[in-house]
Amino acid sequence: MIKTGFVQFAWLFAACFLLLNSGCVKVEYSKIDDPAYLRVFNNLNYVQTLGSKDNKVPFFCMLINPVLDANGIPTSAEIVGDFLDQRDAYAPPYPSHIGTSTSVNNPEYPGKENVLVGPILNGFDLSSWAQVPSGKIRIMFAYRPKNTVPFFQLENQLKKDILIDTVLNLTSKEVYTLHILQKDFVTKRTGLLLREEIFQKLPLSDSLTYVNFYNMSAKGYWEADKSLKAEDYLMASFQGGMKDEMNVFLSLYEDQSILSARAATIPGFKGKYIANVKLNTATSDVSPYVSFPIWASNTTNGITTNMWQRFDFFVPGMDISNNPFYEASIDNGGNWVSVNCLQNGKVRMTSNDNAVILPNLLVNIHSGVNNPKTFATVNTVEVVNGRVYLTTIQRKYAPPIY
Amino acid sequence: MKKLNNVKHSKPVLQIGKMLFALAMALQLLFFTGCKHDDLSVALPNENIRPAADFIKNNYEMRLFYAALKKTGYTEQLNGAGPFTVFVPTDEAFNRQGIYSTTDFDKMNVDSLKKIIGYHILPRKLMVDDMPSNGIDIRYATLTGPELYLSRAAFNPNGGVENELYIDGVEVIRKDVVLANGVLHLLDNVMKPNYNKTVQQWLAEHADYSVFVKGLKKFNLWDQLATGVTFTIFAPNNKALENVGITDVSLNTLEVDQYLGDRLFGAYILYDRHFFISDSQVFSLINSNGAYNYFLKNDSHYMNFGGGKLYPEFKLGYGLTLRSGNTVSDVILNSATSNLTAKNDNLCSNGIVHHLVDGLVRPDQAIKK
Repeated sequence: MIKTGFVQFAWLFAACFLLLNSGCVKVEYSKIDDPAYLRVFNNLNYVQTLGSKDNKVPFFCMLINPVLDANGIPTSAEIVGDFLDQRDAYAPPYPSHIGTSTSVNNPEYPGKENVLVGPILNGFDLSSWAQVPSGKIRIMFAYRPKNTVPFFQLENQLKKDILIDTVLNLTSKEVYTLHILQKDFVTKRTGLLLREEIFQKLPLSDSLTYVNFYNMSAKGYWEADKSLKAEDYLMASFQGGMKDEMNVFLSLYEDQSILSARAATIPGFKGKYIANVKLNTATSDVSPYVSFPIWASNTTNGITTNMWQRFDFFVPGMDISNNPFYEASIDNGGNWVSVNCLQNGKVRMTSNDNAVILPNLLVNIHSGVNNPKTFATVNTVEVVNGRVYLTTIQRKYAPPIY
Repeated sequence: MKKLNNVKHSKPVLQIGKMLFALAMALQLLFFTGCKHDDLSVALPNENIRPAADFIKNNYEMRLFYAALKKTGYTEQLNGAGPFTVFVPTDEAFNRQGIYSTTDFDKMNVDSLKKIIGYHILPRKLMVDDMPSNGIDIRYATLTGPELYLSRAAFNPNGGVENELYIDGVEVIRKDVVLANGVLHLLDNVMKPNYNKTVQQWLAEHADYSVFVKGLKKFNLWDQLATGVTFTIFAPNNKALENVGITDVSLNTLEVDQYLGDRLFGAYILYDRHFFISDSQVFSLINSNGAYNYFLKNDSHYMNFGGGKLYPEFKLGYGLTLRSGNTVSDVILNSATSNLTAKNDNLCSNGIVHHLVDGLVRPDQAIKK
C-alpha cells in the first residue's frame, strides 16, 4: 500500500517536474500567405589576386521590402539575406552546406538562412527555394564589408552602398531563380535576371536525366584581353569565356572511376549534339530541357550505373570530329570549352584534358537494400564569364525498399 | 515464517523508497536553486604584473621602443586602463633605420616621433583571431588617427594552413603576446607612415633620389605624382641610376624629344595600384600567385613584378624584370632584385614608395624610333 502510494507520488512528481521545466516554451510559427518560391544566386564572381586587391568585393546583403530612414539608409527589411557571397560551382539539390560549413558566408539564398522554404511541389523538393511574399516586392542588394558583423549592426556609412534597388513582380506558387549578373564586361554594368522556372510543370520521366543550358556571360567577355580576366586554373578552358552562340555535345562515359576523357564511352553517346545555347542576360526565357537515359549503358543492372557525362561546347560549324585543337588546349579563343561531370566534382583527370570538373548529374545514394542506387535528376548548366555552374534539382524519389 | 519473511523484505524496500524520495526532493531543490548566481569573488590576479609600458620596459629586445615611448610621453597612457594593441619594432628594426642608442631619439623632432610611435598603437585589443582570415589591407584606426593596413595570410583555398601577418608591409615576427591591458605584436621593421605627404613630396625630401626626381621632372612625369591617383613607385637612388648610365650631369645633356620618357623614367612607376612588398608574399601564400605583370603606361614594354622572402636571409624583397613585350620571345632589358627591406614600404597619402637598388633602363634602350 505504501509502495503504490510512493510510486503514484513519484509519477506525480515527475509530471510536475516535466511541466515546470518545459512549460515556459511558446512556439510562434511564422507563415507567409500566398508565397512565391525564390532562390537567389550572386554570379558576380571574383578571385582574390594581387592585381585586384583594391577592387570592391561583390559581397552583398539582400533586402526585400526594406524600411529606409530619412537619410535613405536601410534600417530593417521584411526579409534579409545577409552575407551573400559569390555562388558555388555546384548548387546541390538540398542545402547540404548548412551541416558542413562553419562560415556565415552564404553561396546562395536561402542556402544557410533559417527561413521558410518551399514544399515538395509536383514531386520536386523545393528545400532550396525560400518562401517570399508574392505580388510586387522591392528588392535591394547592398554592398557590405566581408566580415561577420550582421548588416544592420554595421556602421551607418557602410550601409549606403547599394548595387541594385528594384521592384519585382512575383506570382503566387511560382518557382523563381534570381541572378545578379554582370551584363556588360566593358562598362561593368550589372543587373538582375529573374527566371520563372517551369520544371515543376513538365511531365518528366523517372528514367531520364534532364539538363538545360544558359550562357549568362557579360557582353564582350570572351572578346576581352586575357589580362583583364581572372586567372583560375580550375576553370581550365572556361577561363577565357565562350562565344555568344555555341552548340553543346554530350558524351556519356561508362565508368567514373576511370579519370580519363579517353576512356570508353557508351555506344551512341559520343559527341552527340543536344542543344544550342545563346548568350542571354536580358530575357528570362527558360531554355528547353534535353534528356538522356540513365540506363544508357549495356553494363548496368537497372539499379545503379557508374556512367558520367561530358559536355563539349563548340562554336557552330565545329564538332567533336573536326575539332582542330589539341585535347588539353585551354586557350581556344572561345571556340571550344568543355566540362566533365563525374564523382563529386573534386577530382582531377589523369588524362590530358581541358575540362572544368563538376559533380555527376546522377545521384548515386544508398536506398533500402540497394547501395548505391542511381536516381535521375533535373539540371541546369549555366556559363557566366569564365565560369560554369551546375544546379541539380532533386525529384521526389520512390521510397526505399528493405 | 511467511510473515516474517514479508517483514524482512518490505523494510529495506521502504528504506530505499524513502532514500529515493529524499534524493528526488534534494534534486528538485537543487534545480530551483541552481539558477541563482551569486557574484563569486575570485582571488584577484596580479594585475600589475604587465601593463603594456612596463612589459616593454622589461624586455631588452624592445629597449629602443621603450626609449621612444618615454620620450614621447606615452608610458603613462600605456600603463593605464587600455585596452591597447602595441606593435613593437625590435631594437634590430630601429638599427636598420640608423637608430642605435636611446640618445639617437634626442636628435629627432618630438612631435613627428610622437606621431610615428602613436601609429604603432591601436586603442583596442586586437588578437590574431580577431583579424579576418586572408584579409588584405584591413584598416584599423591608430592612436594618432590615421589607419594602418593589415594583411593576414591564414589559409590557401587550394589547401594548406598559413600563418603570416603583415602591418603596413612589415612582418609580425611574434604574435599575440598578452598584456594586462591589451596585446603586443613584435615587428621586424619600423612602420613608415607619411600621413599628409604625397609620393612627390616624399621623393623631393630625400636627396638620395635627386637624379630620379630630376629625370621625372625633365620628362614631364613629375606633376602627376602630386595628384590623387594611386601610385607604387620603385624609386632608384642615384647610385642605381648611375649603374645604367644616368647621372645628374648626363641628364642635362639628354634631349627630351629623342627619348621615350615613359620607358626611361616611367618604368619605375606603377599606376593605379598600391602594393606593399608583403602583398606579393601574402598572395603567394593564399592564392599561389604573388606576381603582377603589366605593360608600362604608354609603352609596349612589359614588367614582371614579384616579391617574397628572398634567399638566403628570407626577408622580404622584390624583383622587377623589364621585357620588350609580353611574349616568350621578347628580350629581357634588365632585371633588378631589391632586398633592402627596411627602405621599402614608405606609405604616402597617394601611394607607396619602395627603394630600388639597380636601374632598369639605359638611355640607349629608350630612344624614339
